[in-house]
Amino acid sequence: MANSEAVATPGVLLTADGTPLKVSLQKSLRRSKLRAMLLVLPPLLFLVFLFVLPIGNMLLRSIDDSLVNQVLPTTFKEFKAWDKTTDPPESLYAAFYTDITRTLEEDKLLVGKAGVRMNYDKPGWRSLIKISARKFKKVEGPPYKEAMIEIDKRWGEKEWWLSLGAMKDERTLGYFLNAVDKKYDFDKNIISVDENRKVYNLLWYRTLLVSFIVTIACLVLAYPVSYLLATLPMRFSNLLMICVLMPFWTSLLVRIVAWMIMLQQQGVVNDTLVGLGILDTENRLAMMYNFNGTVIVMTQILLPFMILPIYSVMKTIPPSFMRAAQNLGATPTLAFLRVYMPQTIPGVGAGCILVFIVAIGYYITPELVGGKDGRLIGNMVAYHMQRTLNWGLAAAMGTILLAAILILYWAYDKIVGVDNMKMG
Amino acid sequence: MALPVYTTLGQRIWHYSYLAFCTFVLFFLVAPLVAVIPLSFTSAPFLNFTPEMLSLDPEGFSTRWYKGLFGICDQDANLSTMCTDRWVVGTQNSFIIAIASTLLATFLGTLAALGLSSENMPFRRGIMALMISPLIVPLIITASGMFFFFAKVNLVASYAGIILAHTMLGIPFVVITVTSTLVGFDKSLTRSGASLGGSPAYCFYKIQMPLIAPGMISGALFAFITSFDEIVIILFIGGPEQHTLPRQMWSGIRQEISPTILAAATILVILSVLLLTTLELLRRRSERIRGITPH
Amino acid sequence: MQTVIKQTLLASALAAASVAVQADVNVVSWGGAYTASQQKAYADTWEGGKVNFVNYNGGLGEIRTQVESGTVTWDVVDVLPSEARVGCDEGLFEELDRSIFAPAPDGTPMDDDLMVPLPNDCVVPQIWWSYVPFYEEGTFSGDQPTTIADFFDIEKFPGKRGIHTWPNALIEMALVADGVAIADVYDVMSTEEGIDRAFATLDKIKDHSVFWSSGSKPLELVKSGEVAMSLAYNGRIGAAVLSEGEKFVTVWDGQVLEEEWLVLVKGAPNREEALDFLVHATATEQQAGQARHINYGPMRVSAFAVIEEGEPWFHNGKNIMEHMPNRPAVMERSVVANPEWWADYGDSVSERYTAWMGQ
Repeated sequence: MANSEAVATPGVLLTADGTPLKVSLQKSLRRSKLRAMLLVLPPLLFLVFLFVLPIGNMLLRSIDDSLVNQVLPTTFKEFKAWDKTTDPPESLYAAFYTDITRTLEEDKLLVGKAGVRMNYDKPGWRSLIKISARKFKKVEGPPYKEAMIEIDKRWGEKEWWLSLGAMKDERTLGYFLNAVDKKYDFDKNIISVDENRKVYNLLWYRTLLVSFIVTIACLVLAYPVSYLLATLPMRFSNLLMICVLMPFWTSLLVRIVAWMIMLQQQGVVNDTLVGLGILDTENRLAMMYNFNGTVIVMTQILLPFMILPIYSVMKTIPPSFMRAAQNLGATPTLAFLRVYMPQTIPGVGAGCILVFIVAIGYYITPELVGGKDGRLIGNMVAYHMQRTLNWGLAAAMGTILLAAILILYWAYDKIVGVDNMKMG
Repeated sequence: MALPVYTTLGQRIWHYSYLAFCTFVLFFLVAPLVAVIPLSFTSAPFLNFTPEMLSLDPEGFSTRWYKGLFGICDQDANLSTMCTDRWVVGTQNSFIIAIASTLLATFLGTLAALGLSSENMPFRRGIMALMISPLIVPLIITASGMFFFFAKVNLVASYAGIILAHTMLGIPFVVITVTSTLVGFDKSLTRSGASLGGSPAYCFYKIQMPLIAPGMISGALFAFITSFDEIVIILFIGGPEQHTLPRQMWSGIRQEISPTILAAATILVILSVLLLTTLELLRRRSERIRGITPH
Repeated sequence: MQTVIKQTLLASALAAASVAVQADVNVVSWGGAYTASQQKAYADTWEGGKVNFVNYNGGLGEIRTQVESGTVTWDVVDVLPSEARVGCDEGLFEELDRSIFAPAPDGTPMDDDLMVPLPNDCVVPQIWWSYVPFYEEGTFSGDQPTTIADFFDIEKFPGKRGIHTWPNALIEMALVADGVAIADVYDVMSTEEGIDRAFATLDKIKDHSVFWSSGSKPLELVKSGEVAMSLAYNGRIGAAVLSEGEKFVTVWDGQVLEEEWLVLVKGAPNREEALDFLVHATATEQQAGQARHINYGPMRVSAFAVIEEGEPWFHNGKNIMEHMPNRPAVMERSVVANPEWWADYGDSVSERYTAWMGQ
């Protein structure tokens, strides 16, 4: 307090260099805030550019239908003018012819790509466009109608023209509809796809079912073990903890191979059961390459995700609570149910949500061990991304999946808080 | 967990069946990994125990698959079994990618954790959630998004692309582990360092760094194993040059499953045990430094 | 032990070297025994330069990225029939001057020496492979399965069946088993009723089916007795019989043949050497030579004659002809897969097949 100003304004605390303490504290607060932000900025930008934006960009593909509109703008205009009950008019044929020949001159590849996209809505469009594009050069029109029917008789069938209706807008919800076994008809009414082609609802259901069963199985297996780990003396529990963590640290593919050896028909489990005389060799259990295989392997893979959160909560519950309850006359069972278990709920909740979230997006494991039941939504996303190149549908399924996961993640944050997450 | 003498028979039965159940669960977790090891020494090209192996006939055992793993081909090696350098090449590539992305992830993740541990950080919770989200968002979605984005900026089929992608997967682990070492951190230590005249950077290296080091290292180990084990992203954005070990295993499982993959698995299991032991030792050290005694 | 270590070091040094050195021609193929056979038959016998084999997972995605971005690193690619067509249509492959390729020993030009009509000028012949049913000797007492209809007949030949988790080849086989003439298969498949008919046949084995998705699985399934009969890639069965001495019997009826072609990527960095390599690899002698190492059938008719005369042709002194998927004796009862049909209807049939599997 050597500064004379301190005397000049009584009642205000000053720091050594004479600024009021309040100002100085604010300044230091701002500085520390700034420092924190500067520290966070590089990783944050990294994440935004390489993670958030790419995913956002991909999700936009789920409603994008601009390619086909770029190729066939006049056709869609004429399509709107057509009354759909009569045969398609000559003007529609002419518009289609002009659109295709124009695009062929501008960018040959676009025609092929548009054909592939149209094939998603009605199988056959790809070859129809391809054949037509090759032969349009020789057409001397107008009239185009007869010439086009001459090239391929499909041009005379009304259904092909009607199928254009589902593609006529730049933005579409068609991919989302496809992802739940629905589609647009020519008038953009939502209808169901044919009964024997309904596959996505089945896969959504199966994905949820697998995730649910795996979560329950993990809980049933994890709870007693976590209790054991939490109550054993440190020396033993550390050793057992290594058993829990070892699978966690072993390559996913290694674990999958290991399970193949265990569970296949001539695998270790079946061999042992037959060897012990429990099973006939004819009745070996089918535990691999089916639904059971998926569930068993995923349960083992995700079990540590359940054990760790439950264990860390149990660790914080003082054993004296149980003793106190028993002192007050409760039986051990009652004490466990009424006193101990309620306190473990946060750990159970965290574990369940974590396991469910991870399970719902799985695809490598079911692909390798699931056999015919190994197709979950994740596999279909990969399949459409890599094989059919139907990226719109893949993006739509991805969006739905992501939305579900973000809701659960939000719930997880509410229950435990993401900053309380622990590893090992 | 010795039982008191006054337990009833029912309690005893309950207790022992409980222990049996726990043993079963732990067995369930570890047994498959252990079963891989003997089977990797089979001499037959199939993935099951042959009668010769079960009767401990030396004929049933061989190191044939380990040789294949290292690209050593017998003169009479037939073509139906893989004899190739792809395993060795894949392992090298995996190490290159994993080390590079681990270093980057540890650096970025530690920055984030330090910033986020400050109480003055605005939107702390939201940013934390975002930092951890690469762990939560299914890999297939991340990979799809990156596929389009990387194609635009010419990062598809490049080491740089894979390393950046793996870095992103590693960041959450480092953020989590470093944050948790900072939880018990006594701020007065840096303050007293500063009051004794240390610059912030000096204080960080001398005071904070040694304390968060175990967190950084264990986060780095997680990041390393994540990258080393990663298969989805590499399948989406990796070119043929980015041939990693998981990729080799993947094509092994999908196309020509041979006990070579068991030999590789055995080595990886041993590697994971070593890593885990390191991690456990680090954790104990961290607790000792911070004065938290294990109970 | 010391030699093992020495060899290990040597091998890893070699591996490191092979990564570092840029080879003269980059040939992209599927890996495994198949690439090994190409290495032995084409690369090791070629004097025009060195070949660097690269593995890929199929599809045109990578080639399209390379060509569109102008940074082509691949020269020659081994492609499936649909990619051979689409890639040429899209201008990803170079159209080749047909006159540079070696005629057959009797003077027939290469393009007339093929077993299928040439789909376009981008491709040069590689091999045939097929989906085909097989079982292990001794599985059935009495009558043995001889036709594709037997594969779908659970009563006559009891036991489980191994089939794959995608519809290719299965639709064709089901129709042939149901009595459709080989020549009419794709006409029937182009109608909704035809697809219904195929699925009705598939229904007969559905409850007795084990599904596989990786090429090595059917061999394990049959070997372990988990299934009585399975479909498989013919090369896998042949390799097991020829190299491992397994007693597998192939039912050469109603198989579905797929073509495999070699192409030159447009803008290939080592174009001249690559062309020279293609001329060398497609010559009759090399085509026949590949069959010394793997039982996939050469596409050139003249190569067949060479193999037939040279029997036992396989490198370990066994006869290979009886394992060739496209030998004249079985061609009559084989369906040649139609890539155009699959490009149009593949997705929609796959959806239906997935739904069918899940029901």
